[in-house]
Amino acid sequence: MDFDFSEDQQMLMTAFEGLLAPWTQAPQGLHGYTVYSAELQAEIAAAGFMEIAAQPGFSLLDAALLVEAGAACPVSVELASSMMIAPLLANAEGPLAVASALGQPVRYLPVSQSVCLFHDGDVWQAPVASAQIEVLDSVAAYPLGRLARVPNAASKLSSDLAGTIRRRALIGIAAEAAGLMRGAIDCTVAYVRERQQFGQPLGHFQAIQHRLAESAQLARASRWLAFRAADSERESDAATACLYAQESMRKVITDCHQFTGAMGLTLEWPLHLWTYRMKVLQGEFGGKGAQARRLAQSAWPETATEAAALPEMAM
Amino acid sequence: MDFGWSEQQDALRGKVVEFLRDHLPDGWQDIAALSPGSQEVTDFSREFCPKLAEAGLLASHWPPEFGGRDAPAWDHFIIGEVMWEAGEPRGPQYYNVNWIGPTILHYGNEEQKAQHLCRMMQGDVIWCQGFSEPSGGSDLAAMRTRAERDGDRYRINGQKIWTSYARLAEFCFLLARTGAGKRDISVFLIPMDRPGITVRPIESVVGDGDLHEVFFDDVEALESERLGPEGKGWDVVRYSLNFERVGIPRYALALRTLHAAVADLEASGSFTETARLAAALAMSSCEAARMLVYEAVDQRSKSAPGTGIASMARYAVVLAERQVADFVLDWTPHLFVSETNPMVATHHKRAIAAGLAAGAAEIQLNLVARDMLGLGT
Repeated sequence: MDFDFSEDQQMLMTAFEGLLAPWTQAPQGLHGYTVYSAELQAEIAAAGFMEIAAQPGFSLLDAALLVEAGAACPVSVELASSMMIAPLLANAEGPLAVASALGQPVRYLPVSQSVCLFHDGDVWQAPVASAQIEVLDSVAAYPLGRLARVPNAASKLSSDLAGTIRRRALIGIAAEAAGLMRGAIDCTVAYVRERQQFGQPLGHFQAIQHRLAESAQLARASRWLAFRAADSERESDAATACLYAQESMRKVITDCHQFTGAMGLTLEWPLHLWTYRMKVLQGEFGGKGAQARRLAQSAWPETATEAAALPEMAM
Repeated sequence: MDFGWSEQQDALRGKVVEFLRDHLPDGWQDIAALSPGSQEVTDFSREFCPKLAEAGLLASHWPPEFGGRDAPAWDHFIIGEVMWEAGEPRGPQYYNVNWIGPTILHYGNEEQKAQHLCRMMQGDVIWCQGFSEPSGGSDLAAMRTRAERDGDRYRINGQKIWTSYARLAEFCFLLARTGAGKRDISVFLIPMDRPGITVRPIESVVGDGDLHEVFFDDVEALESERLGPEGKGWDVVRYSLNFERVGIPRYALALRTLHAAVADLEASGSFTETARLAAALAMSSCEAARMLVYEAVDQRSKSAPGTGIASMARYAVVLAERQVADFVLDWTPHLFVSETNPMVATHHKRAIAAGLAAGAAEIQLNLVARDMLGLGT
């Protein structure tokens, strides 16, 4: 049990954070809902970070560290699927979008080269160029798209692989959520230190201190649960991490916006770049209901008869 | 970064589990259902802890001269996890090995260490902790109990309250004011049979032997009974509290209780989808608390735990305890009011105090806001 970075991890994080450094401030005069950077996406790929999990001496845990660090940036780039799922697939050129169902919003689909799709109990892989996609225009801070049908060029993956992809998707969501919560809380803490009301900074009010401290607890525990799941790759750890993160984000989003007041409703203040990604992650892969179902299934397996009597688990 | 256990740690856990299997009597769960401060559990701890010491499992993290083997902090914590999950057969003596002993080890002089740590290692000494007073619980600095200098000794007058284990304790880890300043506090290691000390039990819903009033009426204390320099008690207390806040792996008993409640629901065919959702959420809260407590222990194993992380971990533990206690009340109310599974009632008694002991939950949030978020007045 060791919660500190190893020397290799420290070097990895220093290199990655150096690459992210120019992107840690939100662009001035922002007018859009989303800040996706193809340039940063390409830089991260060119530097070899997407293959980190397969590098000698590194593992999925190291990918989770990078996903979390990347998500804490106001600029969004697709890291989780490229780092955690693409290595399982053949010819999955990144960015890689993962669709948990047909008809649902899919993060990064309009900017992706490849897509993985869960449909009808199977998982498919296809180049995005071969798919008919609908680009969704929304307030979310992710580029979003939707698939209406399984692309003709899609190839079906094995059911074993489907389980691993789903598990890694949950771990990726948890790590990304942890970074987003951290980014949103940092942004809010900076705001309440400066913003004066009733003759003192908002951060001097205990009502605000306590709720932000609670949010910080949720974010930090989410981070450790995500890293533990990446380290163990156990089904129960993945479900726990994703469930806890999806449950925790609700409070973090609400409180960060509450304490930022109307400023947090504007596009010029960067808070939405974290919170409006979290709002999409909250319901990913069936949301907390499905994750709770998965965790309960791991912790307290039902007999085959009981399981058959229940509705099919959300993908 | 590594979230697994080493082979040595797995083996240690196995050894402790085996030790409990060999040394806990058949009716242990009925004994454990009483509070750690009850006569029964205290008596049991006096038989059990010497055996634990003999097996090298009571305070392995202490130096060899005091009966330990300088084992890593993690070893002691793993032992604590298994003990707490089993209902804490060390009874009130977990105080000794979790934080009173380590604080004496850190701040005590050689005589104090030899006197107290060696007694603790014999496994039969009970301590209480004189912190809260009628005028100040979480606000420790508001305490009024005074230790006035009288030549080479002190005279202590005042009152403590909510003092766990006081009725059966042989010693008190006592805080008293020794100067005019708000933080002019000193710590004394006082025998409880000293003339002038009166203990009155307080009946409560958390079990017999857990809450007392302790009156100090012109109680004499020797200078050699003061722990650390005069007026520096605040540092000693902070050190001790950082151990206490994450000293008990409370999520371990909470998880065991959750599993017991789920097993009961499954047996009656009532583990519905809604109950499964609630159970999974409670379980994820326990795991979240576990990870933050582990982070605090990891920090402690490398240096001293920072105030912030111990407080954050404690707050997560409070939430997890509450979620499991509520799960039982929501879904298996019969377990709360019956003898079917005594550990469920035991968990409830212990869980409801988690947000009060070692500083109220709100104090933990104050410390997180100040030390981890940099927010303060």
